[in-house]
Amino acid sequence: MVYINRSVGDRSLRAMVDLDKGIVDREIYVSEEIYQQEMEQIFARCWLFVGHESQVPNPGDFIISRMGEEEVILTRDRKEKKLHVFLNTCMHRGEKVCRYDDGNTLVFTCPFHGWSYDTDGRLVGVAYYKDSYNGEQLDKSKWGLHEATICNYYGSIWATWDKKAPSFEDYVGAYAPSIRHCMQGSDGEDNGMEVFNPIIKWRIPTNWKVPGFTSSTDPAHAAMTHRSVNAAAIGPQGDDGVGNRAPNRAPFPAESWVVGDHRLGHGGGYTFYQQPGVPEYVDTWAEPGVDEYYRARRDKKAEKYKDTIMAGRGHGGGHFCVWPNVVFDFWRIRPWHPNGVGVTESFRIFPVDKGAPKEVKDAQRHYVMRYNGPVGMTESDDMENWNYVYPASKGVIARKLPYNFESAIHRGWTDDRLPGFTISQKKSEEAQRARFSRWLDFMEAGSWDDLYPVYKGENLHNK
Amino acid sequence: MVQYGSTGNTGNPGDLEATDAAYTFRDLPEGAKVKLTNGAVAEITGNPRDGAWLLIKYLENPEDPSQVGEDDMVFFVDVESLA
Repeated sequence: MVYINRSVGDRSLRAMVDLDKGIVDREIYVSEEIYQQEMEQIFARCWLFVGHESQVPNPGDFIISRMGEEEVILTRDRKEKKLHVFLNTCMHRGEKVCRYDDGNTLVFTCPFHGWSYDTDGRLVGVAYYKDSYNGEQLDKSKWGLHEATICNYYGSIWATWDKKAPSFEDYVGAYAPSIRHCMQGSDGEDNGMEVFNPIIKWRIPTNWKVPGFTSSTDPAHAAMTHRSVNAAAIGPQGDDGVGNRAPNRAPFPAESWVVGDHRLGHGGGYTFYQQPGVPEYVDTWAEPGVDEYYRARRDKKAEKYKDTIMAGRGHGGGHFCVWPNVVFDFWRIRPWHPNGVGVTESFRIFPVDKGAPKEVKDAQRHYVMRYNGPVGMTESDDMENWNYVYPASKGVIARKLPYNFESAIHRGWTDDRLPGFTISQKKSEEAQRARFSRWLDFMEAGSWDDLYPVYKGENLHNK
Repeated sequence: MVQYGSTGNTGNPGDLEATDAAYTFRDLPEGAKVKLTNGAVAEITGNPRDGAWLLIKYLENPEDPSQVGEDDMVFFVDVESLA
């Protein structure tokens, strides 16, 4: 049982996170005790991104993912073809029942004593069952794999350990439609994406909150951190026009802001579009055939949404954090998994149109690879910061100093188009402050009864 | 003739008690029949290829005839031989 730090006395959590001043104590990034409390209070409760349905298309398919610092198995069972998320631990004596990153299997067999589980989690094989358990003493039905509650949200798979958690849609609030639209194909059809397999996984020597709380959206870092990669112009547009490192940008009337929901914790970039339909297609790609493909898909989407306000790709613009640890764009999904107080395991998952031709997939894959991950040029820039923030913050002197999240504080406003959120200017740390607001709530709450609902009597995600 | 086993350490293909029986067991195909130590005979319906377990359907079971036709899993120590 983790001892719960509460806001009493000078060393209270609320003394470490002063959101009125935008000051956050470094201790919450480097304290082992606080980290353990995060595992119990946040990661054992929240809806967490686990994967995409296209990673397990066939009965018996599985991938290894994570919920907090624990490994989970996302699998599609062989009989009902339903998706499940199981903790990767044998119920007998705790060994991993799956040692592969992905594959297809009939059963998950523990290599320790041989307990074997069907892909629906049932314990189906116990060695020496008749000899050691008289064939009946052990009730197999009570010893299946430990299963999380899941939600398949337009192809994205989310899971929570807490049976009392609110529905996923209630959990994400006003950002629910943005997740849906990020999962649409470029033709505007729901569930239109698949993801490249395998995904990228690597570990970085930093606390999970360093990238998890600040990389979406931290507009001010881009000018300095990414100055060199912008000059290299690695985006599909190269150095043509607004190219630099970014994907296609369409000339369409819109307002883009930094936003944060202080009551739910989500936030990041948000774009309000102002005209019905979708923008004209702008040629972007150097690779043959790719623009022709995306132009045809764009035309189909424009027809579908001709009387509706709809973004070119990923309504809301993407680049937003779903509390606590995943950042969503229509072209990449970035979970940051805690792996100890000073280590973070990063996943990079790249959606692409389901069924796109090979030349389109290749072009998309080459772009995301030169952008992301440990050898991607943009995230190599970011790693220079993520990797050195932690060691430069954990010393006995450094840890006594605060971080500053004061940018554009107390300048936010509200907007009925995005209820619940504080809207702020483009260069602002509002989204980070929102995450710390929810962090405090979670770290002190006894149960979901203390955490939800936050909007009494309001049904925000349907507005 | 189907050659079970892959290491060549046994001169008796399909010998489930040989030193390399884990390989033999791992490679047993669906449809093959096995005799269990309790006298039952079963058809292999799936092989997870872990060298330890088989998914089976009972064809005969003198000990418990009601199991005939039922699906089950069998651990390698309970498999006597190929039938």
